[in-house]
Amino acid sequence: MPRPRVAALALAVGVVLADSSIVVLALPDIYRELDTSIAGVTWVLVSFNLVMALAAVPAAILARRVGPGRTAAVGLAVFAGAGLACGLAEELSTLVLARCVQALGGAAAVTAALELLPATVGSERRAATVWAAAGATGAAVGPAVGGVLTELISWQSIFILQVPVALAAAVPILAVAKHEAATGIIEPELRRTGRPHLWANLALAMVSAAIAAALFLLVLLLIEGWRLSPIEAALVVTVMPLAAVVGSKLDEFVADARSRAAAGAILVSGGLAGLAFLPKATIALTVPPQILVGIGLSLVLSALTETALGGRAPQAIHGGWTISARHAGVVIGLLALTPIFTADIDEQRHDAINAGTAVILDSPINPLLKLDLAERVSERLEDEEGKVPTIGPAFEPLPSDPGERAEVVQLQGELQDQLDRGATHAFSTSFILAALLGLIALFPIALSREVEL
Amino acid sequence: MRGRVLVLGSIVVSLLLVGAYLAAGGSSYEPKQVQDPCKPRAWSNPQSLSEIANQFSNSALDGAACQLGVSRETLARALATPEARERFTEKYGIDDEKLARAVRAGLVRAVDDAEDAGALSPLIAVPLRETVQRIPLEQAIEIIDDAEGFLGDVDSFLGPAGDIIEELLP
Repeated sequence: MPRPRVAALALAVGVVLADSSIVVLALPDIYRELDTSIAGVTWVLVSFNLVMALAAVPAAILARRVGPGRTAAVGLAVFAGAGLACGLAEELSTLVLARCVQALGGAAAVTAALELLPATVGSERRAATVWAAAGATGAAVGPAVGGVLTELISWQSIFILQVPVALAAAVPILAVAKHEAATGIIEPELRRTGRPHLWANLALAMVSAAIAAALFLLVLLLIEGWRLSPIEAALVVTVMPLAAVVGSKLDEFVADARSRAAAGAILVSGGLAGLAFLPKATIALTVPPQILVGIGLSLVLSALTETALGGRAPQAIHGGWTISARHAGVVIGLLALTPIFTADIDEQRHDAINAGTAVILDSPINPLLKLDLAERVSERLEDEEGKVPTIGPAFEPLPSDPGERAEVVQLQGELQDQLDRGATHAFSTSFILAALLGLIALFPIALSREVEL
Repeated sequence: MRGRVLVLGSIVVSLLLVGAYLAAGGSSYEPKQVQDPCKPRAWSNPQSLSEIANQFSNSALDGAACQLGVSRETLARALATPEARERFTEKYGIDDEKLARAVRAGLVRAVDDAEDAGALSPLIAVPLRETVQRIPLEQAIEIIDDAEGFLGDVDSFLGPAGDIIEELLP
């Protein structure tokens, strides 16, 4: 088995599928820097996933006709070039357009990789395992890597650093591309392509919608609601991929893919429901729900991919269908939930401003301070445009009288608690809807069989 | 068999998590409600001038907000700075005259409430009521802002004479 080529193919799949989620933690920075709305910045994610969903199957067909080596190499080059354009974009429209081109290249690289892997690793089953594992790893670690890069360097660095990684992955594949060019296209097996596994792909779409929503909403809650920095948020959401590693071990103990898929969907929904009912705005309370989502996503994604690919040929086309289903699910999740939670955040902001003022007016502090304080607090809330602020600076300087100072400090704590709980509550409906999506996926999972040709 | 155990285990773990979070108050959040300013706001038994002033300001804001058809909180933010006031009058299409009438009406309600609560004697309340109905907008806002200073001044102006007159009254 040529190890560099397996590593290159796995790296290609990982870096492309990480791109689906890698910008999640950078979205608040992009949102502020490019002066757009939450709905607008969502398109940085939606555009990539939408094009991936639409292009995956045609890209797989192209790979079989033109040659997987050439398709993968060209795909990675396009992905890298568009990544550079993303990093240099100064307007949202340019960024979204570059993301679309990136997804076209990515779709070509990922589906062609699945066509190349069986010959490289020796069996279709092993190839599917390597491919699914690389994709799951990329998708799981993507947000954390994106968060770290955003904080340490900038959101642009996420895209710029993808360029050398994608090109490094393309180098070992070039040999295959050169071989294809020299010998002509390796004739694809001309057996008829079977129908895609409808139920497994449908379930994949629903579960992916729920998982994407989980990740996107949690990141927004941590950064916009609870004022964590991207690197802190990255550390918090790392719980999910770590739990996913534990979840992947369960595959060895339970052979039945349908049971694993059902258990995974239930755990994802349970975790999302937990996030919907957080009793307090504290990071520790997000850990148990994240563990459930992490274990759940590992179980359900691998089981459904296995079911969708099991006994089907050619693998690239059916792999293309799974990519298509997963990314279509992400798009549906983001498009369906974004208007709901943006409306909830707006309402919460309005309630927070009024609640904050009411808390101040009802407090026993000196009336002379009240109007000024009420105005400063509402100014801070409005200036942050939906982000829940640290309210402290609005209370400075603190009164010199010890009694008055204690009253003001107590008021500050009460007000911050109101704002934090309000921000947490603003995400509840969206988390509940995402949990329902995960539960609805149980129907197609119940109807799925491993081979349905 | 293992598959069923896995599915059942997932259901149990999920229910336990959601149940624990609900039991800990996960669905109890309600944003602090903003009270209708036209409804009377209960006065607690005020002990000091500062406590009276606090409730006096709130009653005045309630009264003015009720006249203008906005919340007490919205009006309080509007009166904090001239810029905030300008934004408020533009947004709600209220001119300074209408705002002045409303703020004066609010101050009258504050005097009424203070008198009803026993925080102001009728001897002080009557002239105060007359005074606040005639003052310009800026001064009216200043009274809401610095009710403690205003009530303190009134108290010291009447001084010991007020106590004597009150004793003579039936």
